[in-house]
Amino acid sequence: MQEISLLLAVGLNHYLILSAILFTIGLSGVLLRRNLIVVMMSIELMLNAVNISFVAFSKYNYNPEGQVIVFFVMTIAAAEAAVGLAIIVSIFKRFKEVNIRFFEHLKG
Amino acid sequence: MSMDTVLFWFLSLIVIVPALAVVLLSNPVYSALSLVMTMVGVAAVFATLNAYFLAGVQLIVYTGAVMVLFVMVLMLFDLKHDLQTFSRGKVSGFLKIAGVGVMAGLLVGAISLATKKPSLIVEGSPLANELAAAAASGADNTKILAENLFLRNMLGFEILGVLLLVIAVGTVALSRSKGGTHARD
Repeated sequence: MQEISLLLAVGLNHYLILSAILFTIGLSGVLLRRNLIVVMMSIELMLNAVNISFVAFSKYNYNPEGQVIVFFVMTIAAAEAAVGLAIIVSIFKRFKEVNIRFFEHLKG
Repeated sequence: MSMDTVLFWFLSLIVIVPALAVVLLSNPVYSALSLVMTMVGVAAVFATLNAYFLAGVQLIVYTGAVMVLFVMVLMLFDLKHDLQTFSRGKVSGFLKIAGVGVMAGLLVGAISLATKKPSLIVEGSPLANELAAAAASGADNTKILAENLFLRNMLGFEILGVLLLVIAVGTVALSRSKGGTHARD
């Protein structure tokens, strides 16, 4: 019976598990991929996973602070995407490829 | 089976399958399009959690602005094929996958520990009463969100404004150095 109720009654834990799965997928993308743009996309995935858990906690605890934090996270994510893509463009200009192994040549 | 339940499972499918596609597909353009799908799914998840304003912001900022930025940069690069999609090395690859597994295990363990005490609702606080009343009356919580943002978190909001200005100037400076994005040196 427990399995049936787990399928039918969606609660905070379901959203947390969804968030955890999404975060883990993003983490594996950051660790396994070599393309810098896909790495940045995986970082966006992780940020979105955290946003889901913030909003879920905010709803189930009746506390709007979580949604305010999601605002801040979204702003930081947009800024991070802009700066990261600028760095990727500068790497591409120099090496004609966007692979993460060129990051070590970035200085100077 | 209630409508909310069906919606949740459908949306979790919509979120997770394109997220897997982002990591697994070797063409970065397909990854970007899958990421758009994931972002739309996350916006819908926000809507099911009664965060309608955040759902709109998610659609506008992520699928509108950030993803367009990604796709524009991808088009700038002309990457039809992605040489060496995944990282080399059997040992390091195994270590990375093991690290991801440990992370997943930690998360599942934390959640299953948390199920023993499912909620941290502060009963009886004025904020909880206000929000419960708003949820009961069917009103959206955009007003409460705005009050919280502009009255209690004003400093953070202004610091974010300054940060965005710095980021805008820095990005332009970074991408204009040595001839801009169209340099053919």
